[in-house]
Amino acid sequence: MCSFEVDYGNILSKNSIDENYYKGLSSGAIKCKDGSKKFTKAQLNDDFCDCPDGSDEPGTSACPNGKFYCKNAGHVPQFIYSSRVNDGICDCCDGSDEYDGKVKCPNTCWEVGKVARDKLKKKIATFQEGITVRRKEIEEAKLAIAKEEAEISKLKNEEKVLKARVEQLREKKEAIEKAEEDERLKKEKEEKARKEADDAKQEPSKAEEKTDAQEEAVKTGIHDKIGLLEDSPSVKDAVEGHDNAADEEQHNEAEQVPKESSQHPEIKEEPAPNNNKADVSSGNEEKDATENTESLSNEELGRVVGSRWLGKKSEKETESVGAGTDSDHDEALSDNHEEEHPGYDSDVDDHQDDDEHKYDDDDSEDQVDDFAGEDHDSSSHKSDSDDDSDFADTTTTTSPSWTEKIQQTVKRILRSVNLFRTPVNISDADSIRKEYDEASAKLTKIESKLSSLKQKLKQDFGRDKEFYSFHGQCFESKENKYTYKICPFKQASQVEGYSTTRLGNWDKFEDSYRTMLFTSGDHCWNGPDRSLKVKLRCGLKNEVTDIDEPSRCEYLAFLATPALCLEEKLEELQNKLETMNREQPQGHDEL
Amino acid sequence: MRAPARALVFPLVVLLVLVTSAYSWKKEEFRDCNQTPFCKRARSRKPGSCNLRATDVSISDGDLIAKLVPKEENPEQLHNNKPLVLTLSVYQDGVMRVKIDEDDQNPKKKRFQVPDVIEEDFLNTKLWLTRVKEEQIDGDSSFSSVVYLSDGYEGVLRHDPFEIFARESKNGKRVLSINSNGLFDFEQLREKKEGDDWEERFRSHTDTRPYGPQSISFDVSFYGADFVYGIPQHATSLALKPTRGPNVEEYSEPYRLFNLDVFEYLHESPFGLYGSIPFMISHGKARGSSGFFWLNAAEMQIDVLGSDWNSNDSMWPLNNHRVDTLWMSEAGVVDTFFFIGPGPKDVVRQYTSVTGRPSMPQLFATAYHQCRWNYRDEEDVYNVDSKFDEHDIPYDVLWLDIEHTDGKKYFTWDRVLFPNPEEMQNKLAAKGRHMVTIVDPHIKRDESYHIHKEALEKGYYVKDATGKDYDGWCWPGASSYTDLLNPEIRSWWSDKFSLDSYVGSTKYLYIWNDMNEPSVFNGPEVTMPRDALHHGGVEHRELHNLYGYYFHMATSNGLLKRGDGKDRPFVLARAFFAGSQRYGAIWTGDNTAEWEQLRVSVPMVLSLSISGIVFSGADVGGFFGNPETELLVRWYQLGAYYPFFRGHAHHDTKRREPWLFGEKNTQLMREAIHVRYMYLPYFYTLFREANSTGTPVARPLWMEFPGDENTFSNDEAFMVGNGLLVQGVYTERAKHVSVYLPGEESWYDLRSASAYKGGHTHKYEVSEDTIPSFQRAGTIIPRKDRLRRSSTQMENDPYTLVIALNSSQAAEGELYIDDGKSFEFKHGAFVHRRFTFSSGKLISSNAAAPSTAESNLFSSECTVERIILLGLTPGAKTALIEPGNKKVEIELGPIFIEGNGGSVLTIRKPNVRIADDWSIQIL
Repeated sequence: MCSFEVDYGNILSKNSIDENYYKGLSSGAIKCKDGSKKFTKAQLNDDFCDCPDGSDEPGTSACPNGKFYCKNAGHVPQFIYSSRVNDGICDCCDGSDEYDGKVKCPNTCWEVGKVARDKLKKKIATFQEGITVRRKEIEEAKLAIAKEEAEISKLKNEEKVLKARVEQLREKKEAIEKAEEDERLKKEKEEKARKEADDAKQEPSKAEEKTDAQEEAVKTGIHDKIGLLEDSPSVKDAVEGHDNAADEEQHNEAEQVPKESSQHPEIKEEPAPNNNKADVSSGNEEKDATENTESLSNEELGRVVGSRWLGKKSEKETESVGAGTDSDHDEALSDNHEEEHPGYDSDVDDHQDDDEHKYDDDDSEDQVDDFAGEDHDSSSHKSDSDDDSDFADTTTTTSPSWTEKIQQTVKRILRSVNLFRTPVNISDADSIRKEYDEASAKLTKIESKLSSLKQKLKQDFGRDKEFYSFHGQCFESKENKYTYKICPFKQASQVEGYSTTRLGNWDKFEDSYRTMLFTSGDHCWNGPDRSLKVKLRCGLKNEVTDIDEPSRCEYLAFLATPALCLEEKLEELQNKLETMNREQPQGHDEL
Repeated sequence: MRAPARALVFPLVVLLVLVTSAYSWKKEEFRDCNQTPFCKRARSRKPGSCNLRATDVSISDGDLIAKLVPKEENPEQLHNNKPLVLTLSVYQDGVMRVKIDEDDQNPKKKRFQVPDVIEEDFLNTKLWLTRVKEEQIDGDSSFSSVVYLSDGYEGVLRHDPFEIFARESKNGKRVLSINSNGLFDFEQLREKKEGDDWEERFRSHTDTRPYGPQSISFDVSFYGADFVYGIPQHATSLALKPTRGPNVEEYSEPYRLFNLDVFEYLHESPFGLYGSIPFMISHGKARGSSGFFWLNAAEMQIDVLGSDWNSNDSMWPLNNHRVDTLWMSEAGVVDTFFFIGPGPKDVVRQYTSVTGRPSMPQLFATAYHQCRWNYRDEEDVYNVDSKFDEHDIPYDVLWLDIEHTDGKKYFTWDRVLFPNPEEMQNKLAAKGRHMVTIVDPHIKRDESYHIHKEALEKGYYVKDATGKDYDGWCWPGASSYTDLLNPEIRSWWSDKFSLDSYVGSTKYLYIWNDMNEPSVFNGPEVTMPRDALHHGGVEHRELHNLYGYYFHMATSNGLLKRGDGKDRPFVLARAFFAGSQRYGAIWTGDNTAEWEQLRVSVPMVLSLSISGIVFSGADVGGFFGNPETELLVRWYQLGAYYPFFRGHAHHDTKRREPWLFGEKNTQLMREAIHVRYMYLPYFYTLFREANSTGTPVARPLWMEFPGDENTFSNDEAFMVGNGLLVQGVYTERAKHVSVYLPGEESWYDLRSASAYKGGHTHKYEVSEDTIPSFQRAGTIIPRKDRLRRSSTQMENDPYTLVIALNSSQAAEGELYIDDGKSFEFKHGAFVHRRFTFSSGKLISSNAAAPSTAESNLFSSECTVERIILLGLTPGAKTALIEPGNKKVEIELGPIFIEGNGGSVLTIRKPNVRIADDWSIQIL
């Protein structure tokens, strides 16, 4: 120290802590706490560091590794780094760390302590109320889970029964159809013979034409078929007898697509591969763009070169003029995303609604609606028509799904065609077909519901199932121009206007259920995949309190939730408050 | 032409770099020598092709004047047929200046002569030549003119063949010469004739070149030299490798001096980077050092010619200890300075007498700086600030990169992110900390931006070739660039830093100048077109390398004005020129988080250091990419010894503040940073030494050991002052490092206190907590061992003196202290102590000349709490302090408290005042 003498005795007496350790000094030298050296009473707080661990200088700044003890009467005691002692800055609320007279630190412990106690009291109140909410939620979760488990076993039974029924109907239907086909062929043969006789210069045989068309229809899938049905008059023949083929195709494809995506409303895996592809290709674009800078305009060149430091896709940069650099990038990415997955968000929303309906009441009307929704969903995957946004719009807005419509149209046409041709009992065949369709649709529906229920119950809802209610929920927060959407067990995204950036897919809970982790979000150019950590805190309702991007593409959010209002923690807080109250200087109570 | 000439190793290295890094240098966007007509022409010239001779030699105004005329008319070289005028002047302390320009009294276009770089004081040291001696040398038929240069040295103008050199008087040995190889060529300006195509095209850009070819080239030879150094900035070894000659494999391009914003530069390339200093220093065992400086701000290319480079058509017998170089510039005049040395520190002193001594930084600026692109908002700033405290890691300055502004309009704030910038700065200042914001030279062309509006109205922008405001592209989009060649505009710019003008700034705020090459994203080679026009019709090509210098100067002067001339400015800049040392610090630009870039940071910093820029450093951690934790720790351990110590990271990298890598690594980085804070008194003393003599803070080993050949090409280790030797650990999971310790005396390990023999290469074992670092026997180094939040709180802390005794049980050292902020030291408000130890007695005495330091103006109340004695013969138990006849104990204590260093003899609590005279006798 430069020009003052330290009142060492005073300091030691303040440091009530470790009294026993320092007592040893009265009978001679004691060892430093790390055992490395010995020091005497004269060396205690003599402003010279004898113990590398600082144990001889608990009251000075002499040891870089030391700790200084503030008693902070009126508030809570505290250890501060010895680097703070007599550094001209008041650190302890009792001002005890600044004793060399260079600065005067007022004792603010009472005020600070009061604020801290009030804050703590509030927190305790929140916990107390939160614990009740949490208990209730746990009860509800347990009931709901039990109900869902019951539902599963019920559905399993139904599934079994239905499967058998569908099988039966299918056999019957096939038999009828075979008969129809035979008859038709026979008729055709006859007709052909007659035609040939009538006119030798006739066009190539209809049979051939029909086979070609049919094959094509199968290849191109339902989407194309609509076009054919609506636009091409020659298609009638092609569609003939196609019902079966289309059904089978539907089936096969459904099996090829991973279960979660085909049947579960959460289309988790879908966007990822697409997105990777998009990134790879945009990487190439970037390369191309920079290598061909010679052909660029002056302004484009500026953007391209500047974009390197920014780690941006230069192509996108070139398009968006003048806006803030950060948002440019995000926009660029999410624009892409948007283009590649039209209606993705609305899909998710639809299903959320479905989910809610499903578990609230269970009547058959609802099931029909559900069926329509789900059928639409699975078929929209098959159709591979993501780039046709008009088309996608139609599918999301009309209530009877377009597949259903097709089926109906097909049937209508079939019927009208068959009217002329079928000697088989028409009404019989029709009713079997209808019955079969209904039964198989119902089966699909049950299977899908079963799978989604199973999927749901597989999730980790926490030690007490306290996070059960998070399922199917999304928590939103607005931060400047962005809206953040956190959907536990599903995904998290950042929405700006019409563009959405995926911050991550649900990964897991971490840190003993105090953190939710979303990983493998949209890729950052020149960086990692986006990810989000959601730190959970006790609160009365589920609410995103803060969201941040501390490192590029690594997001951090805070979510208040009753699920985190734990009794152990409450006890801890209450103990803390008790200690604080005890530390209060008597005189202040009257103030 | 590059690839085939190379050895196999080099392409491999390049390949590795390309593969391991996601980034790469865009080579094709920059011109090489072959694509640069003046360079190609100059390089293809044959030795002896210069046909000039000197005539009409006379003395005028104290200078030696002569004309250079062609020996015979050569119709093919019409432009060289007019005479040139040569002026040779001599200055104190062994400096000779030679200027050559066209002999035209009323030229249509005056060739550009670099203003505002040479110190006024230097011009006043001119020696008035009165006599010229005629002499026949080397069997010439014609005479040579000889003038006095300094004691023992002469300047010589040889008439025919034309040659200029400095030589030793007693034996006539050349020290430094121009045109000894007859490569001198001076393209004089001429009328454009029909059919002349002067335009130059590169990629999509066209340079109109309205004045046609005007380049200059000549050879410079250094005698008694084994290596040449300097001419920053290149990411290469310190000793410059040859670029031409029979055995030249690595580089086939000349060293380029052309200030460029090079995206992701390679760590081993002669390519020009952000700044240019056309100053070269030679060193050799035979003679020592000499230096050469060409004051010219146009694009320059410099070949270092390997031995035997001209063996086929050699005109002179080859000299083993001679290094030939070829200097080529696109425009300007010959304005060269010869520095005769003879020691490395002499050359640096001579050079900085011409271009200015380095400014004295504030104490806080020599401590640790924390930067990132970007600390996003006030909350982020407060959070980072408090985390340093939480982890007990000291730091002094928090930096804000471009995102803090409103749309990259400098001097503005993004008010959403930074609603209360003054409050923020004041809060940090309450903990003794400072802040830095970035101010770049590109001005957003936005009608609502006051700076742009004024500049536009006043016509302050650089013009394009057609005379309209030059409109380029940079961070803000369409941007223009103020014409800082004009002193009026510089003054206007400086005013923008006043607290009134820069809304949201406080006196705790300092400045960072980036992109001042200038960087222009859509310009040729990412910079301004060469035919852009400056004040007085000067073409950008003529002053390109000076642009960043002026920007740095105007900013620094702005801070000076802001503080009413009382507050030392701090401005970090990326682009620089000779003389930038007067305006602040320089860093090595956008490096990459790779081990090889950690290694190359040392020669880069040393190269700047010996060229006047003593306040420099590399971004700790590497700007681009994410360093592995081990690399980051190693970078902190080395970076703590850079003169300028700042952690910085690119926008897209992960956060890398020191506490983010687990407790163990936090501890390692805390210790590394703490080491810097411990040595701050020493660093500050060294900055003052640099400020008065130009001797750098970070020194190549050969600067301290000029006679030790083993040090000449060693750029893995460096000296901090004359007392510390530091070497980085440049490889992953290193178990040991090969360290050469020069000289006869021992070296003491800073952590273990073990002694190592000098003059040996040691296999030094390294652990994760330390890099090789030693104190040289014979030195006394002052430290402040107490850990604080920032340097501000260390002001009153007591000192530790570490005495490392040499073989004669002697040592000495110095300590300089002042208020750390103001210019009062210039009026004597400082303490400068000398400590000497001999015959068992340590004496503290005043090192300042009696007239300079006024003890009543400044003093320090601080005491000495600990004196560590390394290499003392054991047995001492007590010491006696005089005056006062006080006895103190000597005991065993750690050399480095925090890290549990080795045990050493320690005088416990002598408690003498640092500013007083006293002695301590070991008993």
